[in-house]
Amino acid sequence: MVEPSLVLYGDLYARALALLEETLRETGARYALLIDRKGFVLAHKEALWAPKPPPLDSLATLAAGNAAATQALAKLLGEARFQELVHQGERMGLYVDEAGEHALLLLVFDENAPLGKVKLYGKRAAEALARIAGEALAHPPKLNLDTQYREEAKAILDELLGN
Amino acid sequence: MSTINFANREINFKIVYYGPGLSGKTTNLKWVYGRIPEGRKGEMVSLATEDERTLFFDFLPLDLGEVKGFRTRFHLYTVPGQVFYNASRKLILRGVDGIVFVADSAPNRLRANAESMRNMRENLAEYGLKVEDLPVVLQVNKRDLPDALPVEMVRAVVDPGGRFPVFEAVATEGRGVFETLKEVSRLVLARVGSGA
Repeated sequence: MVEPSLVLYGDLYARALALLEETLRETGARYALLIDRKGFVLAHKEALWAPKPPPLDSLATLAAGNAAATQALAKLLGEARFQELVHQGERMGLYVDEAGEHALLLLVFDENAPLGKVKLYGKRAAEALARIAGEALAHPPKLNLDTQYREEAKAILDELLGN
Repeated sequence: MSTINFANREINFKIVYYGPGLSGKTTNLKWVYGRIPEGRKGEMVSLATEDERTLFFDFLPLDLGEVKGFRTRFHLYTVPGQVFYNASRKLILRGVDGIVFVADSAPNRLRANAESMRNMRENLAEYGLKVEDLPVVLQVNKRDLPDALPVEMVRAVVDPGGRFPVFEAVATEGRGVFETLKEVSRLVLARVGSGA
């Protein structure tokens, strides 16, 4: 199966953002991200009080890699999946759950957020986000990028990497 | 398939450096990281063993900035080359948009090059992809070796059909590194909006 493109747009994107925001409120987590299985950020929210987030690209890439490895581990043990992943350090923690087949929910939380709440509301949010991701896959918007886009991108590459 | 975030007006592409162990995949990324100005690159992440062999992957986000209203980014990955890390290699290929195959010019690595290409074909097939359907650039690295094999000989074992653009490189000195990256990026961009 060729990996489908998960594209959030308009109402679906607004719903995903609202869900992430609500999850932050319910759990007390710092940052909430919806990412695809390839490791790209689709939507993210941070609590108003939270400090500057870590590099989101790296966070998403590592979380997606970790989730993929965990899924492979589950299969080795004859399980279809290990659905959620929790990492807890002294101060910070990470909760990752599957938002359907093609996306993941990531919550970054600190010691003030109760793990039980993070898991409870995290799971609910992941289920709702899975439905949103499903709708996005069913109705992807058409990307109308013309040759001008390619030419502009090529010019930037020339500038960056040399002619 | 690129990941498009319409709401944030972002387009992201995934480029994977593939090839046998010690062929120079990580060196390519390190060179790019060292030469790209701040603001155009993100943090480089390396998941490596103590002796600096890639364990899971290396990752480097490259930011072209805004192109026709879309923030355009290339996410560069390497795979671990050693034979026994195939599970990791397979995972990294998920959703790949373009591939740089880094071949080794050393005579005793000819078989490893061929084996790695075969392995790549197999792993892509698990995602329903064929090498022929993807932008692939062949980089023949380590051209500074005194006993480097002729490029055509290396090519004959990994790309007998002569399909892929070929670049000679000495990644430790940066020779051919940007040229290779530019070509694969150009090929990936050429597919945008073409429905491929």
